[in-house]
Amino acid sequence: MILTGPEIQSALNRGDIVIRPFRKRQLNPNSYDFRLGKRCRVYTDHMLDAGRPNKTRLFSISEEGLLLRPDRIYLVNTEETMGSQVFVPIIRGRSSVGRLGIFIDITADLIDLGSINQWTLQLHAVQPVRVYPGMLIGQVTFWRTYGRRVQYDGKYRHHKSPVPSLSHLDHLVHHA
Amino acid sequence: MILTGPAIKTAVKRGHVFIEPFDEDSLNPNSYNYHLSPRLLVPARGKMRWRKFEIPSEGYVLEPGKVCLGATLEQIGSNRFVTLLLGRSSIGRLGIFLNVTADLGHLGSRSNWTLELTAVQRVRIYPRMKIGQVSFWLTDEASSHLYGGRYHGDSRPVANRDRRILRRTRRS
Repeated sequence: MILTGPEIQSALNRGDIVIRPFRKRQLNPNSYDFRLGKRCRVYTDHMLDAGRPNKTRLFSISEEGLLLRPDRIYLVNTEETMGSQVFVPIIRGRSSVGRLGIFIDITADLIDLGSINQWTLQLHAVQPVRVYPGMLIGQVTFWRTYGRRVQYDGKYRHHKSPVPSLSHLDHLVHHA
Repeated sequence: MILTGPAIKTAVKRGHVFIEPFDEDSLNPNSYNYHLSPRLLVPARGKMRWRKFEIPSEGYVLEPGKVCLGATLEQIGSNRFVTLLLGRSSIGRLGIFLNVTADLGHLGSRSNWTLELTAVQRVRIYPRMKIGQVSFWLTDEASSHLYGGRYHGDSRPVANRDRRILRRTRRS
């Protein structure tokens, strides 16, 4: 079951959901709109490798915005710190942003319980398109769980977003 | 409602969720990580043609603008919970899509799921790597209508089997 807007608000009041800063006008009937942060990380190599660390460059998106190219992946943090130890967050784009051909995640919409962070968005554009820091870019929904709850303790928890892929750590573990 | 990791483990024990092979270390707080089978179908020349390819240990490079069909190393399915197939954030950060807006599994379907792999940038992937995750969802009531469709029981990546689409494509 998905939480309604008013349920998100009361869960927030109880401390079962974290959204910081929270602005009531960003609350929807069954989701909350979040904003694009300023920190952006891009890979400096054109060819990426899931089995080794990939070089990246971190920069700040200026007020003039950032032109997304279709052939690159852009890792940008959410402006808000969000998460929950009780309800499972699932992120998605807003229809206004989808209509511009912007993906905000790459088949990775499911957030772990206990992952309370500025999440790393995986921006990908179908056509060249300009995005701006602070713009409303996506929305988060919250879902009730079934079963005993455990919390995220994974490899991204101590990092400040946007974090590049740490897939190579899986790779090494697997072949060890 | 979405099953938590401990609930997935219990469901596997009770036979309500099928994951084979099952490894407890692949459980997440609310999903299960699956691995990439070495078997791929890569685009061949001509419309809707595929070539079988086995990913070597040095890996395989996904090229933007092309769909490669992969498969989960695990057989996955459930008669009781609805399965959603997705990627992992580590893999999304590399610009790899695991499916093309077709994430919903049918109740009763059990197979090595076919993955629709596409990449934003060129990227090297490896056989048996941890590549995606599945989540399981409660339904309102038990279903007597279980999936027995054309992709049931697949153990390798399978290309489109919808003859109606194929006919239309050939005509055009």
